[in-house]
Amino acid sequence: MSQPVVHINNLNLQYQQMLVLSDLNWTILSGENWLLGGNSGNGKTSLGKVIAGLLPASGNIKITFNDTSKLPAKVLFVESWYQFKNLEGVANFYYQQRYTSQQAKETLTVKAELAYYAKEYHLNIADVEPILNRLDFTSLQNSQLIELSSGEHKKLQLVKALWLKPQVLIIDQPYTGLDLKSRKNLNLLLDETASAGVTLILISNDDDLPSSINRFATIVNKKLVAVNTKTDLQQFIPLRENKTIPAFLRTSPVYSSQQIAKMENIQISYGEKQVLKNINWEVKAGEKWLLQGHNGSGKSTLLSLINGDHPQSYANTLYLFGNKRGSGESIWDIKQHIGLISPEFHWYFDASATVWESIASGLYDSVGLFRQLPYSKSILVDELVEYFGLTEEKNRLLNTLPLGTQRLVLLARTIIKNPELLILDEPCQGLDKQQTKHFNQLVDELCSNGMTLIYVGHFESQLPNCLEKKIVLENGEVILIEDLKTDKAYKQLKDYALNFEPSL
Amino acid sequence: MANYFNTLPLREKLNQLGVCEFMDNAEFADGVNALKGKKIVVVGCGAQGLNQGLNLRDSGLDVSYTLRKEAIEGKRDSWKNATENNFKVGTYEELIPSADVVVNLTPDKQHTAVVNAIMPLMKQGSTLLYSHGFNIVEEGMQIRKDITVIMVAPKCPGSEVRAEYVRGFGVPTLIAVHPENDPEGKGLAQAKAYCVGTGGHRAGVLKSSFVAEVKSDLMGEQTILCGLLQTGSILSFDKMIEKGIDAGYASKLVQYGVEVITEALKHGGVSGMMDRLSNVAKIKAFEVSEELKDIMRPLFQKHQDDIMSGEFSRIMMEDWANGDKNLLAWRAETGETAFEKTPAGDVKIGEQEYFDNYLLMVAFVRAGVELAFETMVEAGIKPESAYYESLHETPLIANTIARKKLFEMNRVISDTAEYGCYLFDQACKPLLADFMKKVDTDLVGKNFNEGKDGSVDNRRLVEINEILRSHQVEVVGVKLRKAMTAMKAIKTA
Repeated sequence: MSQPVVHINNLNLQYQQMLVLSDLNWTILSGENWLLGGNSGNGKTSLGKVIAGLLPASGNIKITFNDTSKLPAKVLFVESWYQFKNLEGVANFYYQQRYTSQQAKETLTVKAELAYYAKEYHLNIADVEPILNRLDFTSLQNSQLIELSSGEHKKLQLVKALWLKPQVLIIDQPYTGLDLKSRKNLNLLLDETASAGVTLILISNDDDLPSSINRFATIVNKKLVAVNTKTDLQQFIPLRENKTIPAFLRTSPVYSSQQIAKMENIQISYGEKQVLKNINWEVKAGEKWLLQGHNGSGKSTLLSLINGDHPQSYANTLYLFGNKRGSGESIWDIKQHIGLISPEFHWYFDASATVWESIASGLYDSVGLFRQLPYSKSILVDELVEYFGLTEEKNRLLNTLPLGTQRLVLLARTIIKNPELLILDEPCQGLDKQQTKHFNQLVDELCSNGMTLIYVGHFESQLPNCLEKKIVLENGEVILIEDLKTDKAYKQLKDYALNFEPSL
Repeated sequence: MANYFNTLPLREKLNQLGVCEFMDNAEFADGVNALKGKKIVVVGCGAQGLNQGLNLRDSGLDVSYTLRKEAIEGKRDSWKNATENNFKVGTYEELIPSADVVVNLTPDKQHTAVVNAIMPLMKQGSTLLYSHGFNIVEEGMQIRKDITVIMVAPKCPGSEVRAEYVRGFGVPTLIAVHPENDPEGKGLAQAKAYCVGTGGHRAGVLKSSFVAEVKSDLMGEQTILCGLLQTGSILSFDKMIEKGIDAGYASKLVQYGVEVITEALKHGGVSGMMDRLSNVAKIKAFEVSEELKDIMRPLFQKHQDDIMSGEFSRIMMEDWANGDKNLLAWRAETGETAFEKTPAGDVKIGEQEYFDNYLLMVAFVRAGVELAFETMVEAGIKPESAYYESLHETPLIANTIARKKLFEMNRVISDTAEYGCYLFDQACKPLLADFMKKVDTDLVGKNFNEGKDGSVDNRRLVEINEILRSHQVEVVGVKLRKAMTAMKAIKTA
């Protein structure tokens, strides 16, 4: 038997004065490809980083590379979160920036970024073409990094990893933000990568995995526990106790208008590139919408119009909460009706705010808290902190918490106002199954009180039950609007979402 | 046109220099109402123009842009910036006559031509808004008596003005009303409303005057902000090369050091910055900076005197008339310095190392901030104004050096600031020649603490801490920083 590829013995990891991993042992043999799953915040990401040498830890880690392989003798860790900088090396962006047209070009194009990567790792640019094709990325080569959606950034990270083919490839949350088609193609690409001799470690709680994944593990009490199947992982995810939602969220929101949003023939373009075409859509008070479409189909842009974030809304015919856009209202007048979360919003959020401040900032729609809360408001924040099980972390900074916990904080932030409209753009990214189930139950309960909902989700298993209408975008156009309650039972909706693959 | 300030009697000079009031939040309770429904027309659509306009429109105000015919016909960047974000764009003739407020956001040098072109088109009783008072104060531009003249000056680059607004905050801002042009008494209300429209009211607003703004702004940018950072950077780099420190290391230490060091300044003032040093290093940095203050004081005073007398603007405008001969020559010279031409090396420098190995810059920054502040206050400028124009802006400028060295700094700042910066640099280098001869690598390039046991005299340390903390720039700073604590840290290195 050959040497194990990765051999870990008595690993200990301290992070921010807390023990994250303790006397952990793990052996990965050649030909094995692992899934590392389990509850959010159990130390999965830290373990991946330790193996890649990105976090210092004590104990023994031995990586044995295959000298006869042509693949680079390297462990690559693909972060769950993408990073990019502008041309001057600053990563100080705000999330509305991609909608604003500025002649001073700020970031590299995808093409230039790939050229840099090729140079850094001595790769052949011709080899990336097929990968780009299969992830539907070719047409984005001339886009600037700041123009990409979160799903597209994820793809760019994956393209680079699959191009490099390191001998050990660890991917943290490979599917975040990917549509179903991209997800299937990614799995095929990962299988090919594995058969080329790459050892895979995927950190994920998703169900549809590459068939090359043949080992499963989770981390329980700071130690690795290997199991036989991925279903066995679920038993380790702690059940959440059922709490009653705070009283202030059990009342119906007060509507200022029965018309939440009305769009008439909306057109949005950047130079020659048209991103939304002839959009006609109306959302009435109390309706629950599912919004779907491929990565880059225009979903985020559409939502940015409703949230007052898009400069071009002033040149379009758009009504929000009963008022015509551009009739003297401020973006803060609009935002006060809305609770919003999206992957982009999370990415750009002020990570140096505390948990408590982040939730409280939802009352004022600011990114970070800039004012003192009156007592009557601060008790609402306390109640929500308690309801979401965040009491222990309430004074910690967001950037010291696992991604799943950060996400819970921002979800609490979206509902603190008991808003008229909830915009949940892939809200459950990074949450484990229990957290997702729990959050969707909460959404169902809020919606039963009359809240209006627009929900974006690619994954059938992550949708709440209350959805009743659906709109689908493709290449910036509406290709389907349907009523889910009149002719279909909810189960069929789930089947439909599962098989949703327009124009393949 | 005569220099406006010089036409005033001494009593009125002091009066206008002394306008300075940190405004209470309650003063902005009326929101944008004073400008609601009014037509705001912005002249120019560069970084400040575009970003201020985006904020104003998002605050519910009616904003359009006017550009010169050539810019519109040539579809220049300013035209694209405005049209692609769906703003209405027109020529002066098309938009100015119906404007209630005309916002002049063009470079200083163009002000006279722009104002002469638009003033005849402006309607009776309208308002002209500046974000810098040079044209009014130094060039003595006379505005028609029915027109209200106000100033709103966000103290940050345009991109920050936008970024802070959309996250629900703002940037510190200075506002003023020109006493010669407030015929209806509406100037202050409009300036406050504009400030709310750009988000500035959330981050601290200083009520100033055109005179106080110009005289303090010029002084700050010429001395501590740009001039001294340039001189200090070049001298430090050259010293390290002379003493055999690796060029790549030296380049990186200088390029990023000033940003890391002044980040501490931003959060804790001069004493906060000095506290990042060990006790021995702090005592040394204190002594070196005292010496620097003594050497440079006459130069700081000369700059302030020339600014007050109008001599500075006179010679700069001579250079304008001369096709920017001096400016362009100095710009080229800066581009040719060894520091500028040596790329930062691929070495890791830890955050604390920037302090320990670059004591000289800590001393330069302390000396420069305190001198600029003291000189301004001695000249009649109020401490709050002096704080904004010295300590507050230093980290913002240092940030531009970290991006792309001195070239980037001089590209980002105004031509007026750039000209003053070179003027200072030219005079300061020879002044420091003898001082620099004594400087060795313990002050720049190597860890000062190395080989020292770290022990200090208690009384000496207490005495120095006391001097640092009781300086007026620290006392004022503690108060003003409270209002802007929420500003996001700018990070590059």
